[in-house]
Amino acid sequence: MNFIEHTKVRKEKFGTVVFDTLTEKIFITDQIGAEILQLIEQGKNLPQIINMLGDSYDGDKQIIKKDTLAFADELKSNNIIELQE
Amino acid sequence: MDILAEDKKLSRLTNPGPDDELRAILKGSNFDDYKSPLFIAWQLNSACNLGCLHCCEEAGHSTPDEMTQKQALDFCRQIVDLDIPYVAISGGEPLLCPHIFDVCEFIRGNDISLKIETNGEFIDEQTAGKLAELKLRSVQVSLDGATAETHERLRLRGDWAGAVAACKSLVENEVNTEIVFVPTKFNIHEISDIIDLAYSMGVYGFYTGKIMRIGRAAKNWDILCPSDEEYKKFFDVLQEKTAKYEGKMKIYHYPYDVVEELKYRLECPSASLLVIPNGKVKLIGPLPFICGDLKKESLSQIWENYKKAWQKTEVVDFTRKVIADPKLLAESNNWREI
Repeated sequence: MNFIEHTKVRKEKFGTVVFDTLTEKIFITDQIGAEILQLIEQGKNLPQIINMLGDSYDGDKQIIKKDTLAFADELKSNNIIELQE
Repeated sequence: MDILAEDKKLSRLTNPGPDDELRAILKGSNFDDYKSPLFIAWQLNSACNLGCLHCCEEAGHSTPDEMTQKQALDFCRQIVDLDIPYVAISGGEPLLCPHIFDVCEFIRGNDISLKIETNGEFIDEQTAGKLAELKLRSVQVSLDGATAETHERLRLRGDWAGAVAACKSLVENEVNTEIVFVPTKFNIHEISDIIDLAYSMGVYGFYTGKIMRIGRAAKNWDILCPSDEEYKKFFDVLQEKTAKYEGKMKIYHYPYDVVEELKYRLECPSASLLVIPNGKVKLIGPLPFICGDLKKESLSQIWENYKKAWQKTEVVDFTRKVIADPKLLAESNNWREI
């Protein structure tokens, strides 16, 4: 899983900005979304990200998995990432 | 975890356009919350081989106080240091600037997205190859007609065949190529044909929108500005072609004119800066205000100036006057330091 070329990610005090410079669209995520983006930048795949979030946060692991998959789908549908696995 | 889309184009720079729903979504992420601009529009030079009737920059001859290669590269370093993700280089005609490739290599060498806006007339096979090596976000070529006669009537001393050949060369070299078309009374009737031409050449995208009443376009407004009826037909064609080429070629159009944009920007300025060839930084293209000078101040300082400038009475009052009387847009290049 990696970012599509010309997609840029930048942290701001109000959240993280994802800038798809190809379509010239801007997206803003909350803190957990930003964490996922950071893990993608580090080259982690989706199962690794789900595990790491499950370890970091209290709460139902199934819900964390479901939310993470939904977020990844959203990133993919907006052409921010490409899934390789 | 949420992802909120500002589903608006950046062609007139960052932040959402005048859309209430998006404004509500993005409440709390105003331009002054950004640590630095998200986008730099950089007019690298003033020199141009053409004399387009609608040129926003009133480009032509180079001016003696333009940034040197050293100053330009120092500016690039500051862009990198401030983590600015996206730069668009235009002119004048930027390929006439002797250090354009030094600048582009620096920007791309630091993984910043880069678009070059050109008339295409200096892109031969060799230059297309060099541009391909830079892996640019895109090269945008201005093509203002589906025929040489129409294009060259608007773009004085222009060479339609040369611009078309440039597009083909860029596409052959796998450069992400886009065409920009500015509708005027002279060429608006060719919108359908030029979109078809763009598709036949295999370009990635086609950009258009209402002509901006700035610079030379403001001076020639009465002979250039299409009528409401012409615009209606134009947007109908755009809608039809967008559907026709969906999934094959991107067709972008910005639906707002400069006055509509200024009304919105007064409330919500964009997270972007416009740098002109001498290193001065404009608040926004349609207004004459200069909020900094890269030869004297850091980019970081200018970003702070920019944020404050939008609150100044002089700026607010003049912008309101322009909104009430768009003829004042002709003053956009009579710079005023604030």
